[in-house]
Amino acid sequence: MGVSLALLGAIFFVIRGRPGAPPAASAARRGGQIVASIRAEPRSFNRLVARDLTTETLTMLTQGRLVRINRATFELEPWLAESWESSADGRVHTLHLRPGVTWSDGTPFTAADVLFTLQAAYDPKVESVLAETLLAGGLRIRAAAPDPQTVVLTFAAPSGPGLRLLDGLPILPKHKLGAALAAGTFGMAWTSATPPAEMVGTGPFVVREYQPGQRVILERNQRYWREGVDGEPLPYLDRIVLEIVPEQNAELLRLQSGETDLSNSELRPEDYVPVRRAEEQGTLRLIELGVGPDADAFWFCLKPEVKGKDPRFAFVSRPEFRQAISHAVDREMFAETVFLGAAVPVWGPITPGNDLWFSPDVPRYFHDDARARALLAGLGLEDRNGNGVVEDANGTEARFTVITQQGIGWYERGTQVLREELARIGIALDIAPLEFGAMIQRMLACDYDAIYFRPVATDLDPAGNMDFWLSSGSAHLWNMSQRVPGTEWERRIDTLMLEQSASIDAGRRRQQFMLVQQIVAENLPVLYFAAPRMYFAHSARLQGVVPSVQRPPVLWNADSLSVSE
Amino acid sequence: MLNFVARRIAFAVLLVVVVSSASLLLARLAPGDVTAQLGPFASASEIAGTRARFDLDRTPLGQLGVWLSRAVRFEFGDSFLYNRPVRGLVVRAAANTAVLAVVALVAATVIGIPLGVISGSRQGLLAGVIRGVSLVFLSIPPLLTSLLLVFLAAVTRWFPAGGMTSVNASSLDWPAWLFDVAAHLPLPALALALPIAATFERLQSQSMSETLRQPFALAAVARGLSPRDVVLRHAWRASVRPICGIYGLAIGALLSGSFVVEFVTAWPGLGRLMYEALRARDIYLVAGCAAMGGLFLAAGSVIGDLLLAAADPRLRDAGVAKAGQART
Repeated sequence: MGVSLALLGAIFFVIRGRPGAPPAASAARRGGQIVASIRAEPRSFNRLVARDLTTETLTMLTQGRLVRINRATFELEPWLAESWESSADGRVHTLHLRPGVTWSDGTPFTAADVLFTLQAAYDPKVESVLAETLLAGGLRIRAAAPDPQTVVLTFAAPSGPGLRLLDGLPILPKHKLGAALAAGTFGMAWTSATPPAEMVGTGPFVVREYQPGQRVILERNQRYWREGVDGEPLPYLDRIVLEIVPEQNAELLRLQSGETDLSNSELRPEDYVPVRRAEEQGTLRLIELGVGPDADAFWFCLKPEVKGKDPRFAFVSRPEFRQAISHAVDREMFAETVFLGAAVPVWGPITPGNDLWFSPDVPRYFHDDARARALLAGLGLEDRNGNGVVEDANGTEARFTVITQQGIGWYERGTQVLREELARIGIALDIAPLEFGAMIQRMLACDYDAIYFRPVATDLDPAGNMDFWLSSGSAHLWNMSQRVPGTEWERRIDTLMLEQSASIDAGRRRQQFMLVQQIVAENLPVLYFAAPRMYFAHSARLQGVVPSVQRPPVLWNADSLSVSE
Repeated sequence: MLNFVARRIAFAVLLVVVVSSASLLLARLAPGDVTAQLGPFASASEIAGTRARFDLDRTPLGQLGVWLSRAVRFEFGDSFLYNRPVRGLVVRAAANTAVLAVVALVAATVIGIPLGVISGSRQGLLAGVIRGVSLVFLSIPPLLTSLLLVFLAAVTRWFPAGGMTSVNASSLDWPAWLFDVAAHLPLPALALALPIAATFERLQSQSMSETLRQPFALAAVARGLSPRDVVLRHAWRASVRPICGIYGLAIGALLSGSFVVEFVTAWPGLGRLMYEALRARDIYLVAGCAAMGGLFLAAGSVIGDLLLAAADPRLRDAGVAKAGQART
């Protein structure tokens, strides 16, 4: 992980070279197939209109990007663009496309395809899910093509992430989709009903067949541009089969039985022991990816327009109340109980798994019930009637309903532990597990007291998650989409994040983000308790695995995978 | 006979309309809608566009009216999850479920009825064991049966641990493809069949022991017929009527059981499709699946009537129509 290499240059910094090295030729056998399990159907084969994990995985397998963030090193790599130059102010980027690249149907790949893709992403009729991620300083990127092999991108303002913004943008074929964009039907193009032969790409694989409810079969793209270290074309594999297995226990059993080679998701804590046993028997390999980048989160709705008249808002909106909760939770025990030991305590949204942006210096609220009670007492919250729940001078009890997603073991364990921990300091929690859709609807409407959930960041770079940090953001969990910052400390975060995201000075960006984490830890709009360690398993015959804490954990590097037999 | 057929078709149409309309309305009125699948932080325009596309910007009754007006032209709307028309998805899934249901029903019949005859006509250890095993399978929820069978398949590798075909099925010729499907059938079919076989066994057993106490059976014994002949040639035919009567219900049970079994065993059938649709609040897919489920139930009811008529000479003589009348 890190800021764009292009931003580190004094005046112009030129990137040229090979993308991340594939496995050594001697270790890789050509041919064969692997079977990976996925949980859900693809919503579309068009990433511009669908954001689900299956669509994203299929896009990585079938489409190319101009540049790629290596999921193992988090460095920016040349991909369809083999080199680029960036201006000193970080606003103008001139990208040189890799010569000789063709689409899987043989049509040459050119700058026109890049311009077309950006046009489609920004077209209001398309309503692309990627449009908001392709803004620099809140404005669109302008693109020009001085020749078929060159693209000039002009950002309206300096951007901290720079060209990293383009990692999520698959370049789509103008010759196949141009007519749909012109006709205003691009949003319905390349659905899961589209015949595979009509879909072309510059990725390592092409879709051969989609059997709804069963599987997606991909075959090697015979015209893929990337070569192995032996000079022979990649990918090594002939086929990848994505088998749709919706039930997680069945998914694990199929992995153990050798019917699948890998799962597209990380293991649950309870899967660790059986997989370890299979590893000892030599059938599976277990990989610990380290601490994941996403921690669990507990927060109250702090929207004054909705909760202002609730008598509990008077104390819930005070940082001291939330600090008391933070002191009341024994995080070591929490990690041990909720995640069966496969987690580490955390005090903020950035976990040790995101080492470039993690701040070890944020205030930590160590387990201290006496301190928690003192903080509550300072707010006038005491157990006046002896029923075990603290109340304010008006008799308003500190009793809340916490909603969480039903059916997820550690969410349900987490809320149980929180209830027990908070009961000791006189805060009562009632637990209401809800179906995912119902929970999200309540969250968006602020129709809840508290939520326990694990929001997943879309990017390890904080500038990629501005919707969380900015008070106007749609993912500003505790008080979404504010017109003006509701508190002084949110105003400070807004200012720091806007400066940080527009800066091309890596050191300054980090310094500013450390301050942001400090402010968040002092005010605790969201409480974090533990970040799970991530485990991943694959069959022993699978070679060339470079696992990543970001999804998809293995298939991001599919062109370098091979099988031993 | 024509009257009977006409009545059953009218009943089936009514059932389909009522079940699908009720499903659509209930799915619409339940908390949450399909836009939750866009993720917590979808943009307002994305949510609005999705709501408009799936008629969620109308009132529930308005949406039902629109859907019914399209449904009479056999257009059942698009699925959000699959981003394609519901009709093709439901027909394909229903065909897969039909294969599974037929095999499961045959297996339940072949397993349950003979065991019921044995346990109903004998005393002793064997009858006790059969009764005990049946009670176990009646008590175990389908989720557990499915998971246990998947576990058994994963450990023993006697048959595939899930899915309907192998990954290379599309390159197989027809006979090989059929063989491949057949190899994948035991797991979900047994998970579905075992509780129904247990039900058949219990009913058949009870009915057989009651029948053996009937005067005609006692008379046969008095005439000197062997116990085997009394059971097989006289008592069984009379005792099988309750089983025929619940065949329609058994098809309903297969459908409801398939929700869990198809999900766990990754069988791409109607139950799994409806389960996924309900979880995602994919309203038109829910309604389409419910309509097809209604058709299954109606078909099950007709099959039950026909079997009852075949098993009972009095009903057959009185005409199938009256049998149908009596059941409805």
